[in-house]
Amino acid sequence: MKERLSLYVPRDSVLHRLNPLTKLTLTFSIILIGFVSSWFWTAAALIITVIIPLSIVGKVQKEYFWTALKLLVPVAGFIFVMQALFLPLNGKEIFRFWILHPTFESLAQGFLTAIRIFAMVSSFILFLLSTHPSEMMSDLTRRGLPGQFAYVIVSTLQIIPQMQAKAQTIISAQRSRGLDTEGSLRKRIGALVPLVGPLVFGSLVEVEERAIAIEARGFTSTRKKTFLHEVPDASVDKFIRLILLIIVALELMARIWQS
Amino acid sequence: MAIVDLINVTYKYPLMDVPVLKNVTLQVQEGEFLAIIGPNGAGKSTLCYAISGFIPHFFKGELEGTVEVAGVKSKDSSLSEWVLKVGLAFQNPFNQMTGAKFTVFDEIAFGLENMGVPQTEMKSRVDDAMAMTGISHLAKRSPYSLSGGQQQRVALTSILVMQPSVLVLDEPTSQLDPIGTREVFGVIREMSKRGMTVIMVEHKMEWIATFADRLVALYDGEIILEGTPSEVLTSPQLASKGFGLSRYTLAAQAALDKGLWPKKRPFPITLDEAFEGFRLINP
Repeated sequence: MKERLSLYVPRDSVLHRLNPLTKLTLTFSIILIGFVSSWFWTAAALIITVIIPLSIVGKVQKEYFWTALKLLVPVAGFIFVMQALFLPLNGKEIFRFWILHPTFESLAQGFLTAIRIFAMVSSFILFLLSTHPSEMMSDLTRRGLPGQFAYVIVSTLQIIPQMQAKAQTIISAQRSRGLDTEGSLRKRIGALVPLVGPLVFGSLVEVEERAIAIEARGFTSTRKKTFLHEVPDASVDKFIRLILLIIVALELMARIWQS
Repeated sequence: MAIVDLINVTYKYPLMDVPVLKNVTLQVQEGEFLAIIGPNGAGKSTLCYAISGFIPHFFKGELEGTVEVAGVKSKDSSLSEWVLKVGLAFQNPFNQMTGAKFTVFDEIAFGLENMGVPQTEMKSRVDDAMAMTGISHLAKRSPYSLSGGQQQRVALTSILVMQPSVLVLDEPTSQLDPIGTREVFGVIREMSKRGMTVIMVEHKMEWIATFADRLVALYDGEIILEGTPSEVLTSPQLASKGFGLSRYTLAAQAALDKGLWPKKRPFPITLDEAFEGFRLINP
């Protein structure tokens, strides 16, 4: 079973060595530019000229490709089809069938939305593939993110797979006492009831115990925290962040000026 | 001088009518190994929480009397400072993992990060603590990939690394298999040998008999017996109140009526003691 819910792939690469905040800035810059830019092909160009080359620099191109194929292609494809078929845009009709009458305009709009979402999720995937969650959180905590917030994010990554395992144990236990979890949809939904009780109440008890365990290790201490792993923030990082901010600012100004 | 000093401690959980601890007065000497026994609902865990500061800082409710460790009252301290004096580990090893750390080494360093220990000191303290509890080889593993016994030793190490003067253990082996139990008891015994004050709730009488300097029996929130393990564990008063006694003690008590256990010989707790006693009658 997977021990944590994380995409992170440990590799030795330039991308991995960048400061998490730099990568996060890059991610949001890609998203912003992709959505704000008035040029039709911006998002597509970003995918081809930035995201894919970066995945190769980060030595995670294989993982990126598979995640994109399994997760993104179906989602983006679905959005494209829905928008192309149902957006009520006037223009040259391609064909008419029943209530569907896609136009070239709705086709283009569907493509634009789909490719923007593709670029957005892609840049996040790239970020998650190359950034260790605890590294990101300790860096952000050092910069002033509340410790409790960071704790919730990081612990969720590990605790959800543990809860899945527990749910599996409860299902097995209930089945061994004759609970029928197969068959019709109604039966399956009914079978969820004896699962939810033990899982929810068990988790509540667990939460209290875990709270005691972390309090026993000074979680709410008012002293200034220190960090076992110092996440390096090189001058290259600061330079890249500055450049990205300038690009985003220019893009926003261009957009405002245009309208 | 007593390092832990409880005077007339009475405690009621919120929304409860009856107190769980009633007028408990207890002193523990520095370096002493004290075991606490009692049936379910006797207030053992509550007593642990009171000593380790979770009462009154985590669990609200009404606390009367005073809990003092090394001359400081728990009421006058904050919980995060109190945990530097008194460390607490409990039953479920899984729930004692923070979930926020991906390796055992990082997991153990969690408390030190919170306390603001400088990085270099942190590393050497974690290394030392792991060497002490014999888990250095697990440093790079995920806390969730370990066996129960290993996980419990990680939990213990992450408390010990904070260097408390008193260690409170609430049934640390009750969810472990015999191998895990032996591993954890090994660590606890080592800590005790090094002069740490240990207060442990435990059901495994044979282990207590070989470890503890002193034993306290808790029943319905009150201390009903106090003394050396052999005095307390062989007392007929215990069996009638639903305490789980060692099977060797029970066997000898049953054998006494039939003349199979030497009269006047104290009842045995461990296998060796039972063996010697039964040999006297039937050599």
